[in-house]
Amino acid sequence: MALCGPGWARCARGLRLGALPRCGLWGTRGVRSSNPFTRQQEEEWRRRNRSAVGYIAAAAVGMVGLSYAAVPLYRLYCQATGLGGTTGEGSSTERIESMEPVRDRVIRVTFNADVHSSIQWNFKPQQREIYVVPGETALAFYKAKNPTDKPIIGISTYNVIPFEAGQYFNKIQCFCFEEQRLNPQEEVDMPVFFYIDPDFAEDPKMAKVDLITLSYTFFEAKEGQKLPLPGYQ
Amino acid sequence: MSTAMNFSAKSFTPRPPDKGAFPLDHFGECSAFKEQFMECLRHSGYESAACRQRAMAYLECRMDRQLMANEPLEKLGFKDLINEKSEEKPEKL
Repeated sequence: MALCGPGWARCARGLRLGALPRCGLWGTRGVRSSNPFTRQQEEEWRRRNRSAVGYIAAAAVGMVGLSYAAVPLYRLYCQATGLGGTTGEGSSTERIESMEPVRDRVIRVTFNADVHSSIQWNFKPQQREIYVVPGETALAFYKAKNPTDKPIIGISTYNVIPFEAGQYFNKIQCFCFEEQRLNPQEEVDMPVFFYIDPDFAEDPKMAKVDLITLSYTFFEAKEGQKLPLPGYQ
Repeated sequence: MSTAMNFSAKSFTPRPPDKGAFPLDHFGECSAFKEQFMECLRHSGYESAACRQRAMAYLECRMDRQLMANEPLEKLGFKDLINEKSEEKPEKL
């Protein structure tokens, strides 16, 4: 409703003359209808409107709450049904015993070794690459040497590239996630015993993958330092 | 490593090894087996399947010297090599 113009002027004149209680739409809400026959119906409508608004507001709040609750509920569901992909299928030793090598998929696994700048170890792989097939266990070696005059405790973690192949890369035994102590001038061989799951050959996303890189990084383990180790707690 | 801000792409979560960590071979008791294995790898063009016999020998050495938990070799994926060994023995006899 424009506050200028001829309609408004007429309204203002009407106000002065006392013909209209107020102008425009200002203050028209909540006005009781002057017609007594429709008053009850209008009250009924108002009551129903209010309850409808209440229901809609409750539904909206419920939706927001549900979206927050969906995260842990979904996790529970995945754990129960095993569809999450992170749950292991059966026991791993049974898997190793029963798996058959897939001979037509040869995968090149390259090895990478890193040390954090704070640790003075010489750490390197003893073979640059190895050719494996999924479903067959393989052994590889790293070598670490402590060239300093004091014992150093190191702890390592690993990484698999491409990331999606990491779910098929299973280590039976290695040297990671536990503190390893090297005495002064000591050199040790560090083996990694692993296999690539035969399901790798059936995953369409892995069809083009024929190079997997395994990368280990050593950090210095300080006394009393609690590291977030996966699964070891 | 996993510090990239890729919210949509999957990031890598390291998993602990199935049987834990190898104790360190401080005294080099199994180095001879390791050297044989590495030599085999070099000769075969770094093909893992060709050197499984020597890998099995290395793991057996570790188990004998308490550097690895004792485990039947079938459970480590050497089922076919064990069958070959047991087939050879009656032949020799």
